[in-house]
Amino acid sequence: MFSVLKMKKYLGVFYLIALVVIYSTIAAQVPVDATAVVHPPAPVTGLTASDTDSDHGHSITVNWKPSTDDGGGANSVIGYRIMRSNSPEGPFDTVGIVPLGSKTFENSSSIEAGTTGFIPDDTNFYFRVDALTADPAVFSSSEGTGPVHSYGQWFNKGLYPVLWAVIIFTVLTVMFVSAAKKGKELYVRPLAGIEAVDDAIGRATEMGRPILYVFGLGTASDIATIASFTILSRVAKRVAEYQTSLIVPCYDPIVMAVAQDVVKTAYMDAGRPNDYKEDAVHFITNAQFAYVGAVNGIMLRELPATNIYMGKFFAESLMLAETGVVSGSIQIAGTDEIAQIPFFVVACDYTLIGEELFAASAYLGREPLLLGSLKAQDYAKAAVLVLALFGILAVNFAGDLGMAWLANFKELFKVID
Amino acid sequence: MKRQLPLLFVFLFGTFMVVQNFVPHENSERAKDFLNDWTIIIGIFALALGIWSLISVSIDKINKRKPNWEYAFVTLVGLVAMIFFGFTSNVSSSWWTYFASLIVLLIALWLLVQGILGFGAGATRSKEKFFAGIGLGLVFTLIAIFDKSWEFHFYTPEGLENTMFKNFFSNIMVPLQSTMFALLAFFISSASYRAFRARNLLASLLLIAALIVMLRFTPGPWGDLISKTSTWVMNVPNLAAQRAIVIGIGLGMVATALKVILGIERGYMGKG
Amino acid sequence: MELLGIWIGAILTLGIFSFLYKDNPVYKVTEAIFIGVSAGYYAIVYFFDSIYKKFWLGAVVAAEKDLMLYGGAVLGLLFLSRLYSKTSWIARWPLAFIVGATAGLYMMTYFVTNGMNQVASTISDVAQKSDLAGSSWAEVLGTYVILVGVVTGLIYFFFSKEHKGAFGAAAKVGIWFLMVTFGASFGYTVMSRMSLLIGRMDFLLGDWLRIIN
Repeated sequence: MFSVLKMKKYLGVFYLIALVVIYSTIAAQVPVDATAVVHPPAPVTGLTASDTDSDHGHSITVNWKPSTDDGGGANSVIGYRIMRSNSPEGPFDTVGIVPLGSKTFENSSSIEAGTTGFIPDDTNFYFRVDALTADPAVFSSSEGTGPVHSYGQWFNKGLYPVLWAVIIFTVLTVMFVSAAKKGKELYVRPLAGIEAVDDAIGRATEMGRPILYVFGLGTASDIATIASFTILSRVAKRVAEYQTSLIVPCYDPIVMAVAQDVVKTAYMDAGRPNDYKEDAVHFITNAQFAYVGAVNGIMLRELPATNIYMGKFFAESLMLAETGVVSGSIQIAGTDEIAQIPFFVVACDYTLIGEELFAASAYLGREPLLLGSLKAQDYAKAAVLVLALFGILAVNFAGDLGMAWLANFKELFKVID
Repeated sequence: MKRQLPLLFVFLFGTFMVVQNFVPHENSERAKDFLNDWTIIIGIFALALGIWSLISVSIDKINKRKPNWEYAFVTLVGLVAMIFFGFTSNVSSSWWTYFASLIVLLIALWLLVQGILGFGAGATRSKEKFFAGIGLGLVFTLIAIFDKSWEFHFYTPEGLENTMFKNFFSNIMVPLQSTMFALLAFFISSASYRAFRARNLLASLLLIAALIVMLRFTPGPWGDLISKTSTWVMNVPNLAAQRAIVIGIGLGMVATALKVILGIERGYMGKG
Repeated sequence: MELLGIWIGAILTLGIFSFLYKDNPVYKVTEAIFIGVSAGYYAIVYFFDSIYKKFWLGAVVAAEKDLMLYGGAVLGLLFLSRLYSKTSWIARWPLAFIVGATAGLYMMTYFVTNGMNQVASTISDVAQKSDLAGSSWAEVLGTYVILVGVVTGLIYFFFSKEHKGAFGAAAKVGIWFLMVTFGASFGYTVMSRMSLLIGRMDFLLGDWLRIIN
């Protein structure tokens, strides 16, 4: 039989045990640091949304001042969620999440309707930014902003430096070309590779062997190939005058068509239209190594006295040049492909390095207009040198001179599309 | 007029593309896209001209018995066979009819060409060849219509999945391309042998730089020094000279493009 | 069939290698096969990539036809006027379009990438690494060597002045830098070219003759 005192003692123990059990259950569901209850953070302020500048439209930029609990205060913000809606009341959809410290977000899409996330132009949108915490259920929304709509711009303001550079370069070119037209003498230093072309054509004539002209793998869209056309017209005219034969195997059919016109015109200009042979300029194939195999075969069978490589070349440059050495030809090469220039330098007798290929047409014709534009090129190079050196000095000494704006001089040249 | 109008087109399209670069609006991007598409479409018509050039040079070589004329046959057979495979597919398990049709097509085309060329040159038996070619061509057409063992595909790219088309690519083109590429190992050795006879300071500089970079993976006591020197050569003088060349090339290209747009450089246009 | 394919590949491989000895009938046959098959292959591939995918699907059978593509087709047909010499001058119009459009496009592209971005990189390289506190002496020295290399390299490419006197000396230093870069590029590609040969030997000795695994 339990006495009342013993009953009270047992009940007391029971209540104590119950309290311990209840407390443990609650404690297990609460984070270890029971004092870190997440409160909603301070919302972002100063929210603005505007059309993204200098773009093709379909893009809105949202800016805000970060929450005071981001990196300070309660330090509870882990990121921000940008929400968008077609009406101020909502419903709002998430369009982006950015990490803490962020102050801006660009909500953009492709110009093609029907793609995922497409943003139509001239359509009003409303934005809101939520400050997020580690607990997804705990966040603070900002005041909404809007209406804002996107639209495309007709000028990319980030390209002002490029615009000025293009204008200045064009003005320089026109100035020097006009000076050349007025008969002003324009000096250009001798280039060994260009001077060798005449001798090489003469050599071929004496030996009674043809001249091989190779455009490489360029298409009519490549500037190097366009420069090569002008060189070919000069070479073809001399070939026609000396009555030597010319072989021009082509990789690209459009290049073939242009080359045929160029060579035919050169023969007409030299007063020998009947000497022009239709199959002198022909298409081989537009497979890189099949083309090289064929040109190698031409070199070994026709044994040209002179090989001229002018244009865009890739891995086959060494194969062509080495086969030309085996066949005993004089070789003059010029390309803008930096990786292939070493092979031409090693295997050919004369090499036009990079920019010299583009200058070659002016050298061969000595036409005042072309020499004038070569001068403009040189002045542009000088400008590049001066600007680079000035920029280095500016960045290094801007602080000492107290001209902080000078330190950003190099930003003028950084163009990001 | 025959030259002025195209030069005006060059100016207009060139200026448009320069201006387009500054205009981010989507209409400008769409215009650039369709100009790119036009270039691609024009390219395939130009390729037809190129193939025609290859065929006519090969046939001329055979007819005039120029040196190595026999190999032009092989080129023509390879060309016609690939085009045939690309536009057809064999749906039966037997290949005999398929290849027999190809042979009939080849002979028919050859006889037709010889007949047509013969008319112009006044050659004998050209009429017989021409009509024999027509006849065989009709045979081929009848086979194509009534024989269900193979099919033409002009409007769909099923020919690209043709077993023979894929086999010719993987067993002929791929080994040939890879082997031609592999020949570079021999060519680079012969070029090195000639180049490394350092006759002057410039050749010596080239030789030393090449040797340092070539030996950058050498193990052993000197390996680390060579590797560090190689890294320095690649990151310092190499970078400097590359930058100078790149700037020069860029300015050269811009100047040439400007000359083309303004009509100063017109050597590519031809006359007449 | 696979074995036949390997044998054909091996014979053609050896045919190409025979070129190293001298020009011979085997190489000539291999070359002729290569030209014919590759020309036919790319004719088919480009036909289906450009006429079929772009034009046929985009402008003929599509529900929303892109009518602008017909402009390209018209220009392409004009190009075929070259087949007849009296009308071949018409082909200059599509050519003018291609040359003009790409000249305009590349002019801007290369102005930015080869011109302005290079100037920016040169300035920032020197600006970042010329501070002794932030870089080692070797890095600082290297930065100024780069600067000297860029300046003298550009001086070498001047066409308007003869390479004499101080200008000539600077141009000479420039060509030294150029020779070093050419040597470095040459040395850099030697190993990759050798590995191509190893790949082919692997095919001949492994897949074909089965001498090696």
